[in-house]
Amino acid sequence: MIATRRGAMGLLYAAPAVAFVAFFVVYPMLDLIRMSLTNASLLGGGEFIGMKNYVKAAGDATFWHALAFTAEYTLFITPILIGAGFLLALLAVAPPRIAKLTRAVVFMPVVIGLGSSSLLWVWLFDEQVGLINKLLQDLGLIGQPMVWFADATLGLWAVILSIVWKVVGYGMILLVAGIQSIGADIFEAAMLDGASYWQRVVRITLPLTVRTIALTTLVSAIGSMLAFDQFYIMTSGGPKSETFTSVYWIYQNSFIYFKQGYGATLSILLMAIIFIASTAQLLLMRRGAGT
Amino acid sequence: MSASPRSMHGAGPARLAPRLSGRGSLRPTLRRAFASPRLYLFSALCIVIMALMLFPIVMSLLASLKTSAEASAVPPHYFPSAISFENYARVFHYQAGLPTYLFNSLAVAFMTIALCLLLAVPAGYGLACFPVPAKEAIFLVLLLSLMAPYQALLTPLHRLFTSLGLANTYLGLAIVHTVLQLPFSVYLMRNSFEAVPKELAEAAVMDGAKSFQALWWIFLPASLPSLVTLTLFAFITSWNEFIAALIFMNRETGFTMPVMLVGVRQGHFGAVDWGAVQAGVIISILPCLLIYLLLQKYYVSGFLNGAIK
Amino acid sequence: MGVSKTLRRGILAAALSLAAALSSPSWAADSLTMWVRASGANAAQHLVDLWNSGHADKIALTVIPDNQVVSKLAIGVQSGDVPDVISFDLIYMPDFMRAGLLTDITDSMKGDPNFAKVAPAYAHLATYKDRLYGTGFTPDVSILIYNKDLFRKAGLDPDKAPTSLQQIHDDAKKIRALGPDIYGFYFSGSCPGCNIFTTSPMMVASGAKILPANGDEEPLAGTGVKEVLQLFRDMWSEGLIPKSAQTDNGANFAATFKTGKIGIQGSGGFIISDLKKDAPNLDFGLAFLPGVKEGQASAFVGGDVVAIPKGSKHSDIALAFIKWELTDEAQLEGLAKNNILPSRIDLAANKYFQADPRIVTTAKAIGIGYVPWVFHFNDMVNSDSSPWIQMIQTAVFDGKVDEAIAAAKAKMKEIADE
Repeated sequence: MIATRRGAMGLLYAAPAVAFVAFFVVYPMLDLIRMSLTNASLLGGGEFIGMKNYVKAAGDATFWHALAFTAEYTLFITPILIGAGFLLALLAVAPPRIAKLTRAVVFMPVVIGLGSSSLLWVWLFDEQVGLINKLLQDLGLIGQPMVWFADATLGLWAVILSIVWKVVGYGMILLVAGIQSIGADIFEAAMLDGASYWQRVVRITLPLTVRTIALTTLVSAIGSMLAFDQFYIMTSGGPKSETFTSVYWIYQNSFIYFKQGYGATLSILLMAIIFIASTAQLLLMRRGAGT
Repeated sequence: MSASPRSMHGAGPARLAPRLSGRGSLRPTLRRAFASPRLYLFSALCIVIMALMLFPIVMSLLASLKTSAEASAVPPHYFPSAISFENYARVFHYQAGLPTYLFNSLAVAFMTIALCLLLAVPAGYGLACFPVPAKEAIFLVLLLSLMAPYQALLTPLHRLFTSLGLANTYLGLAIVHTVLQLPFSVYLMRNSFEAVPKELAEAAVMDGAKSFQALWWIFLPASLPSLVTLTLFAFITSWNEFIAALIFMNRETGFTMPVMLVGVRQGHFGAVDWGAVQAGVIISILPCLLIYLLLQKYYVSGFLNGAIK
Repeated sequence: MGVSKTLRRGILAAALSLAAALSSPSWAADSLTMWVRASGANAAQHLVDLWNSGHADKIALTVIPDNQVVSKLAIGVQSGDVPDVISFDLIYMPDFMRAGLLTDITDSMKGDPNFAKVAPAYAHLATYKDRLYGTGFTPDVSILIYNKDLFRKAGLDPDKAPTSLQQIHDDAKKIRALGPDIYGFYFSGSCPGCNIFTTSPMMVASGAKILPANGDEEPLAGTGVKEVLQLFRDMWSEGLIPKSAQTDNGANFAATFKTGKIGIQGSGGFIISDLKKDAPNLDFGLAFLPGVKEGQASAFVGGDVVAIPKGSKHSDIALAFIKWELTDEAQLEGLAKNNILPSRIDLAANKYFQADPRIVTTAKAIGIGYVPWVFHFNDMVNSDSSPWIQMIQTAVFDGKVDEAIAAAKAKMKEIADE
C-alpha cells in the first residue's frame, strides 16, 4: 500500500520529463512518419501521397551517395580516433607529471564548439591565406599551394584531420579511465613474468579495456554518422555534391528546397540506422552498470 | 584532479568512472618502469603532441591580433608584425553587434540549463528513490532522444514550433537543446541520487519528512557535483550547438554565436574577413576553455559518468 | 481558481514568461514592419530612412538572412506573423505567387505612370496568371569588369572591353603572359548563384535559353550553353584562371579582382562602389556581358522586389510605400544618390550617375537584361547540389562538356516536372 503510494509519488516526479519527451520527442517522431507520407512543403502541399517519397528516396542517387560518403567518413575516422585515442591514453596514464599536462591539452579541443573548430580549420586549409599550405611549402613538401577542397578525397581528409584534432581527447579520456580501472596486481604479476611493455599492452591492457573500446567506438561512430557542422562549414557539400553527409542532405531537402515531406522520409531512413547503433550502445552501458 | 570521481558523486557505484587520480595504486608499478633516459624521450614526445594540439588555437589567436590587411595577406605570415585589435572591433560591430549575439547565446544556454535542471532533477529523483512501476521502461523513454537523433527530428519540430509560435524564440531553441541534453542529465542525476547512502534517505523518511524536503535538504546537497556537471554540459552543448540554431533562429538579430560566425565568414559582397573570423572564433571558444580550465574535474567526470554524447 | 493559481506558479509558466520577456522584440503597434534580406539591407535602409523623414507612418526594417527569407515568410503566413511589407530576392517571386503568400496589387498599380517605366524584367517576374504581385525595389545587374592597368600592360586598348567570347579568350591570354601570378580571367567555380548571375547571361546573349518555366520547356536549349562552357574549359586548361577559382563558393566573388591580379571577370553593379572604397587605385572598366558573336550582350537582372504578404495589417500604407518607392524622389534621392541603381529605366542616366559613366552602363544593362521565371529556383540553380553548378564544374574542371550538359538537362526537367 505504502509502496504503491510512494510509487505514484515517484511517477509524479518523473512526469514533467516524461511529458517533455512525449511532446518534443515522441510526438515529432510520429509526426515525422506522417509527414513522410505527404508532399508537405514550406510552400504549401501536405497531401497524402502514400509511399511516393520512399520510392523517390530509393532512386535518389545523391541521398545514397551521401549515405555511402557518411559511412566512408565513419569507417575512416573511427579507427583513427580509437587507435590514436588508445595510444594517447597509454601515454597519458604514465606517471611523469608531463603526461597529465598532455592529457589536459589533448582533451581541450573537446570543449570547443564544432562550428568554431571548423571555422578555424577551414582557415588553416585555405588555399590563399591558410597556414597549412605555407607550412608545407616552407618544409619543401609542396611547390604550389594546394586547393584542398577542390577534390572530394583531399577535402575529406582535411575534415578528418580537423575532427581528429577536435575529438581524439574524448576517446583518450574514456580509455584512460578504462586502463586505470585495471588492478595494479595484474600488471605486477606480468612484470614479474618478465613481460615487456608492449607485451603487457597487448596481453593485459587491450583485452581488459575491450568493453570501453567498444563503447567508445560506438559513440564515435554514431557521432560520425550524424556529421553536419564540419561539412557544412568546410566543404559546403562540394565539389559536385560529393561531400554531402546524410544529415546535410536532409537539411538541404527540408530547409533549402522546402520539401519537408521528403526530408521526413530521409530522416526516417537515417533514424533506422542510428537506432540500431544506439541500441547497441545502451546495451553496452547497461551491462557496464550492472557490474 | 586530486579528488576521485567517486567522492565527487557521493559514495556510490563508480559506473564508468574509475580512479583518474594519479595517486591510484597503479602509480608505483609504472614508476618503476620509467627509467631516466626513457623519461627524456617520453617528455619530448609529450611536448610534440602538445605543440600539435595547441598549434591551431595559437595560430588563430595570433591571426586575430593581426591588422586586417595582414590577416588577409597572401601568402600568410605566421606571426603578426604588430598587435592590433581591429579584428575584434569589427566583430564587435558586425551587423547587430556582438553583444546581441552573446546575449542570444547566453539566453538560450541559461534556458537550456534551467529546463534540464527542472526536468532531470525530479526525474532522476523519482527513478532513483521511489518504487516506480515500469521504472526501466520509463527510463528508456527518457533516453529515447539518444536513439532518435535530434537531427532527424528537426523537420517535425520545426512544424510543431511554427504552430506553437516557438519558432525563432529563445525558448524554442532551448527546448531543442534540452531534447539533446536531457538523456545525459537524467542518467547523471539518477546515478547520483542512487549513490546517496540509503541510511540518510531512510532517516529522512522515518522522520516523516516529506519527499520534496528530502530532495531539497538531503539529496541535492549530496549531489552538488553532479548538478555542477549537468549545468556545465548543458551550457557547453547549448553554446556550441549549430544546426538547430541555424534552422530555428532565422531573424538576423536572433542568431547565436556559431551561426553569426558562419555569417562573418560568408563575408560581405564577396570578400572574406579572415581576421574577423578568427577573432570571432577566439571569442566563441573562450567561455568553453575557461570552464574547462576552472572546472576540469566536473567536466571530465561528466564524460566518464555519461559517456553518452 | 485555486488550480489555475497553482498552475500559474508552475515551472512552465515561469519559463514561458521569461521566454516572452527575453524573446525577440515584439512589433510596435504604430509603425509598419518591413522585412528585407541581408544583402539588400543597405539599399533598403536608404529608402526607408527617406520615407520615414517625410511620412507620419514610420517603417521599421528587420533584416532576414538571405537563405531564410522563404521559410520565414512561408511560416509567417501560416502562423499570422507576417510583416506589412517585404522585399526579397526577385527570383522567388514565382514560388511565392503560386503558394499564395502575396497580395494581388494589379488594380492599384495598373494606372500608375511610374510603374510603366520600371524595367520590364520586374513586371515579367511579378506576374502570375495575369495578376501582378510586386514590383522592382533595389535592383542589381550583372556586367563584365576588366582591369585597365593590366590591359595597358598587355598592350590592349584599355577603352575597348571584350565584346565577344573569342575576345575574352584572346585578351585573357595576353594578360596571363604578364606574370606568374597575373591571371586573365576569374569566376567563382563553386558558387551557383554567382554563375547564374554572370555566366548564364553570356549563354543567353549567345541565343541560349537556360531554365524551364515548366516540365514542357527544354532547359539549357541552344548552342550558347556549350560555347560558353567550352570557353571556360579552354581558359581553365590553359591556366588562364587561378586554381583557387575551383573552390570559391562566392566568398571571393569580389575579393580576387580587388587584388589587381585578374584581367577580366563577370560581376555585378555593386562592385563599383565596392572597388572605389576598397581598391581606390585600381583602374577598372565596365561593359555588358558579351555573347559568342560581336554585338550580342545580355545581363541577369537581380536584386530585390517589394511585395505585400497575405495578412499584412497595414496593406494600404504598404501600397502607398510601394507607389512612393517608384517616384522620382525615391528613385533619385533614395537610390541613385547613394550609388544604387534605380529600377526605372528612364532614370538610368541621372544627375548622380553623370560623374561615373560606368554606373550608367550598369543602369542600362537592366534594360537589356533577362530574368528567369521559374519555380524551384533553389533546386535547379541556387543550391550547392544543383544541376546548374554540377554542370559547370563537370564541364569546366573535368572537361566533360557534352556529358555535363546532358546530365543537367535531365535533372532540370525532372525538377521542373514536380
